[in-house]
Formats: sequence, structure tokens, C-alpha cells
Amino acid sequence: MSKQDGRGRQVTTEEVDDPAASILHVDLDAFFASVELLDRPELRERPVIVAHEGPRSVVTAANYVARRYAVNSAMPLAVALRRCPGAVVLAPHYERYERYSREVMDMLRDVTPLVEPLSVDEAFLDVAGARTLFGSPWRIATALRERVLAHTGLTISVGVASTKFVAKLASSRAKPDGLLVVPAADTLAFLHPLPISALWGVGASTEARLRSLGLSTIGDVAQTPLDVLVGWIGPAGGRKLHDLAHGRDPRPVTTTRFEKSIGNERTYGEDIVGEEAVHRELLRLSHRVGSRLRAAGLVGRTVSLKFRLPDFTTYTRSRTLAEPTDSAHRIYAEMRDLYAQLRGTTDRVRLLGVRAEQLSVAGGGAPALWDDDAAWRDAEQALDALAERFGAGAVRPAALLDPAAERPRRWIEDWHRG
Amino acid sequence: MRFQVNRDIFSEAVSFAVKLLPQRTTLPILSGVLIETADGGLRLSSFDYEVSAQTTIEAEVEEEGVVLVSGRLLAEIASRLPNAPVRFTTDEGKIAVACGSAHFTLLSMPVEEYPSLPHVTGRSGSVGGEEFATAVSQVAVAASRDDVTPVITGVQLEIGDDALSLIATDRYRVAIRSIPWQNESDSADPVSALVPARTLSEIGKTFGHSGTISVAISTGEDRELIAFSAETRTVTSLLIKGNFPPVRRLFPDTVDNYAVMNTGELIEATRRVSLVLEREAALRFTFTPDGLTLEAIGSEQAQAQETVDAFLTGPETVVSLKPQFLLDGLSAVHSEFVRISFTKTDNPNKPGPVLITSQSSKDQPGTDDYRYLLQPNLLLR
Repeated sequence: MSKQDGRGRQVTTEEVDDPAASILHVDLDAFFASVELLDRPELRERPVIVAHEGPRSVVTAANYVARRYAVNSAMPLAVALRRCPGAVVLAPHYERYERYSREVMDMLRDVTPLVEPLSVDEAFLDVAGARTLFGSPWRIATALRERVLAHTGLTISVGVASTKFVAKLASSRAKPDGLLVVPAADTLAFLHPLPISALWGVGASTEARLRSLGLSTIGDVAQTPLDVLVGWIGPAGGRKLHDLAHGRDPRPVTTTRFEKSIGNERTYGEDIVGEEAVHRELLRLSHRVGSRLRAAGLVGRTVSLKFRLPDFTTYTRSRTLAEPTDSAHRIYAEMRDLYAQLRGTTDRVRLLGVRAEQLSVAGGGAPALWDDDAAWRDAEQALDALAERFGAGAVRPAALLDPAAERPRRWIEDWHRG
Repeated sequence: MRFQVNRDIFSEAVSFAVKLLPQRTTLPILSGVLIETADGGLRLSSFDYEVSAQTTIEAEVEEEGVVLVSGRLLAEIASRLPNAPVRFTTDEGKIAVACGSAHFTLLSMPVEEYPSLPHVTGRSGSVGGEEFATAVSQVAVAASRDDVTPVITGVQLEIGDDALSLIATDRYRVAIRSIPWQNESDSADPVSALVPARTLSEIGKTFGHSGTISVAISTGEDRELIAFSAETRTVTSLLIKGNFPPVRRLFPDTVDNYAVMNTGELIEATRRVSLVLEREAALRFTFTPDGLTLEAIGSEQAQAQETVDAFLTGPETVVSLKPQFLLDGLSAVHSEFVRISFTKTDNPNKPGPVLITSQSSKDQPGTDDYRYLLQPNLLLR
């Protein structure tokens, strides 16, 4: 999610037509916060933070009003409220975000099949082939912005450029609710005054290194000879920064972006204590990871467990399987084993994470004579089908039923009453 | 300690003792060979807590003693010594080896820290040396080399009343064979032992020329072990822990769809056609009444095709097989002809496995009960 505060934005208001600038970067403005505000329009002008309530909660999202108080996502909620005491805190509703995300992505796919989602609220489009149908990229972007607003009430910002990198920069300059077209000929003029931190792949340490060498803008990087850059930050990184600083980014918009890993982790408001509770959480996380793998049609060959103690000591343990899996039951079995190896460190846990890595497409590769996970995979596919019809969590392992909900009993009582 | 020994006998004994030692050991003393004077001759031992090897040889002992010396170094020296008697003398931690005009001085390792070799008692019996060696070579090829799943890196030995079965799998194929077993213990209860495939292959090669091999298994204790001995040599190995997958049930009871080919012809054709294949790619085998056509497809640079004679029973069949997996099975049948049988399956996403068995002529099944089951790949088109 963007960390723009909404000030110093740059937008294009009149039609610019450059056939070379056909890549769109579409970004939903303060997505989670905007979705929450659809129900609470009276809070629009007030600072709004989306976060779970809890002593260790972190900011999931913040609207632009809150961002003016230097509130950012992933910041501890306590810090955010110190910076912005007047902020309204709303609980997140992930299923709604997913639904809106799908709706917007579908609208993008109405324009072109060349849509590459980056996350729930961002995507690249290549509209080179859509010109004859819908007109210039500027027209397409303008129409998309109107359509998304009319259908969902959400605003999007769009960057248009000849490369993915510049399109993404352009959308961030246009935020919120803006459109910025950077024609191919203006790319370097747009790029060079920007700070080096805007370059992809420049993290805090590379930025500090480059700044200590007297470089502060992308233009400075562009004027540094390639071999000097390579000497400073290595051959791969040096060449990449050199290319980006010259506006070169050969990556095409691809519809099948391959995930490197799929994982879920959770920080607990209160430490979880004891083996039984940890097992239950591992089961819950394993089911999330399993269903995400199956939904993506992927299998993972390595599974890893992340385990953080109250004193923030963090352990990560992974295991490579004989055959890749997408079965929650199998992932859970491995997680229990890995956890058993870590036990003795403590019985209190602050954070647990379950992750599948070394992903490949399910059904690829040579089939084996037998499949240890077959029976469970069938059961879990049945769960997926039910979740599709009745919502996530409609059916789940008995260990994960919430004892406070008591829904099964009420159902039985109703049934007895006839 | 002082002794004189025949050069060939000594070299062979040292090479036997070090053969099963791993390339690297965590404890340096475990890479040593222990040489002791015993019963008027010598006893050579090696042990790394996983496997042990021990043999006795004749020698002219002039002074009793025991010494521990680097195994691989001694084996290399012994194999290159000139053809003359070998003289060993020890002096204050140094070992002098003299042979003809060649002289070596080696450092002795601390004998006191060397572990004592395990002694195996339990269910015992014997098998024919050559038959055992053949069976091991036929079966061990199917064992997994992936340490991720230790259980299937072993060969499962199952001892019944009068037969020893050997089974191995890597999930993609299963090889199985039984050989006669001469029971020599009071109990005749079935017992099984999972022996690391690499160790078992070495044992097969080492004991292949012996008339009979004695086998003893001790299970149920905290250290589960198996011992193989023939003549003056004994090898022991720790067993792999865990349950071997129930692979016997993967084999079909009866198959009525099969083809018989000349083994050598099929091996040659498979090797030729797979030259154009990319790594891990599969060959397509089309069985018709007119013969078997092998096709290498899917690579843009090159394609290949060849047809060999085949006698087909039942309907025409197409399967996609990894050439190396097929060759492993074909090379293991040890018969002039080979039968490939096609099993049925209800799973549309996975073809039924093919079964490879020996065939002494085009109409006559082979005499051994070797079976090699192989999972074909999905047909891509």
C-alpha cells in the first residue's frame, strides 16, 4: 500500500496521446480504509485507521487524513494513536476487501486480458491492443476511473507510461484520485528529479550507501557510469539501477505472476500458552495456507514454521517434502513436527507463521505410484467447494470450532422444536 | 607389534574393511582400520557406528599387538605395493610398513578410543551368495536416493519360512524379488529389516562370489542391526527406522494386456531414441500388433523415432515413460525377452502402472519372480 500523504501530487488533466506509453498502473486509494468509509461516509473528513483492537495491534490501513499525521500501515496502533489521537479506529473486514478487489479487477479485465494483479489493490495493464476499441491510454484510464467510482464508490489512481516502473511511479505521484500520463519522450525529465528511494530495489541500506557517495536523485544515478555503480553495489544491482534510472525496464505485463511462497502468520494479542493451543493455531494457519495453495492451483515442496517468543526471539524452521503438497493436513503434520523440535524453548508464543515455498503448478511433474495425501486432499477439495458456496469457514476441523459461538447446539435445539 | 603378510591377501583385506566407510566421518578415529593380531593371524575391522566390517587373514605374527591406522591411506598404499611380502612394525606411535624396497611410516591413532564392534544375535539363516548378489542388484536400483525420505532409501528385506524378499521403491517404481532362504534359528516368525540401499549393494558385490551368506537380524532392541557373513568376513549395518510403505498392494493380481519384446533390442532402441530428449523428459511408447514404436517428442531441436518387434496381447496401448526408469527395469530382468504389462486404472489423472517381468522366450515367462512396477507419466497429447 502506498505511503503517500496526498500532498505534492502531479496529475494530467487533458488528453495526452503517446502510443508508446501503453502501460497502466492502477492503484486503489487507501483501499481498506476507503471500503470501510463506504459504510461510514460521515467519517470521510476525519482521520480513520483500520486495525484490530488489541494491545499489540498494528495499523492495517489509514485514510489520507490520518496519513497527514504520519500514520502508516504496519505501524503499531499505539504509536499511530499517539501521533493522531483523534483518529477513529475501525475493524477490518477482509472478505469485503476481497469482494471489492475482485470487482475492480474484473472491470480492468473488461479493457484487456493483459492484467497483472500485484496485490488486492494494485495491477498493471498493457492497453496497447485496446486502442482501436477504447481509444488512447489516457481515455482508457479516465473511463476506468469513472467506472470504478460509479460502480463501487472507490477512487483509483492511474499512472500511464511506457514501462511498468515509470507507470507505478506515476500513479504514486498522482495519488489520491488522480491520473498522470508520462509520455515516452518525457520519461527522463519525469524520473530524474525524483529521490533515489523511488527506484525499485533501493532499500534503506542501498539508499544510505548511495547518499553517502553523494547521490540523491535518480538523475544522479543516471549520470554515474555503469562500472562505477557496479563497483559500489555489485553487478546485478548496479546494472538494474542503471537501467531503471535511464527509464529502461524490459519486464512485460504478464498475467501469470508466479508466487514465490504462500504463507499466513499471526501475532497474538495475548501470548498463546501451551502445546494444545499452539497446535490449534498451527491447524488454523495450515488450513489457510492449504486453501490458498489450492485456490491458486499450486503445490509447495518446502514448508516452514515461524515461531516468535514474547521476547521477540524468532525461529524459522523449514522442511523439504518428498513430494510437493497443497494439503492442509500434510502441512499441519509437518508444522507439528517442526514445533516439536522447537519445544523446550518456551511454552509461550507471540507469533506463529506457516508458509509453503518452492511452489510449482499442481499436477505438473511425473506422477508417483501412490500419494500419501490423496484422501485428505479429496476432503479438503470438498471443503473448498463448500467454502465457495457458503463462505469461508462454513465447514472446518472440529478443533477450530469456536466454543463461544454455540451455533451447532442452537441448531439442534431448533431442530428438536421442529 | 610385528608381523609379515602376503601382499595380495593384505591389500584385499584392507580394501574390504574400508569400502563401507563413508568419505567423511565426524570423528577422525572412525576413518581408521583396526589391525589386531588374533589366533595366529590378523583381524582387520572398521566401524563408524552405522556399518562395520571385519575380516581375518593369515599372517606370520612375530609380536602380538593392536594398531589403528587411517583406512583410506592404508588401502591406497596396500594396493600399490610391489609384489613382495609386507612387513609391519610399530614403534612408539609410529607404524613402519616395508615391502620390497618401499618404506612407509604412518601415524598410529589412539586405539583406546576406538568403539567395539557390534555383535548381532537374533533371527538367522542363509542365502546363496550369487543369487543374493543378483537380487540386490535387481532391486536396489529402484531405491530412492533422496534423503528427504529416509525410509525409502533402504531395501526392505522380508524373511518368511523359506524365502527372503527384497523390495525397494522411490515412489515412481517398485522392484521386488524373492530368493530361497534357509532358516537356521528356532523361530520361524516373519521378520523384516530395512537396510540402506548403498550398504546392501556393497554387501552384494563383496559377498557375490561366496557360496552361502549367513544373515542375522536383531530387532526389538534399541539398536536394530543386521549382519551378513561369509567365510572370514562379516559386515553389520544399522537398520533404517520407520515403516516401509505397503507397496506390494500396488501390484496387479492379473493382467491381460501385455507385450513381449527382445530385451536387448528394446534397451538399444530406448538408448538411441532418448539421445534427443531433454533431461527428465519422457519417451512415448506405442504398442500395436505391428510392433512397438518409440518416439521422442516435445523437443524443438530434434526428434527421433524407432520401431522394434513386439508381440502384443490385448488392445493397443500408448504409455509415456522416463527412459532411465525403463532401462533400469529392462537391465534388471536378466532374460532374453521381457514382458511389459499394462494395468488398468480408474483415475483419469494418472495412467495405470506398467509391470516389467522376465520372459525366457516370446511365449514362455521367466523362471525368477522379479517384478518391476513403473508409473508412467501423463500423456501430453
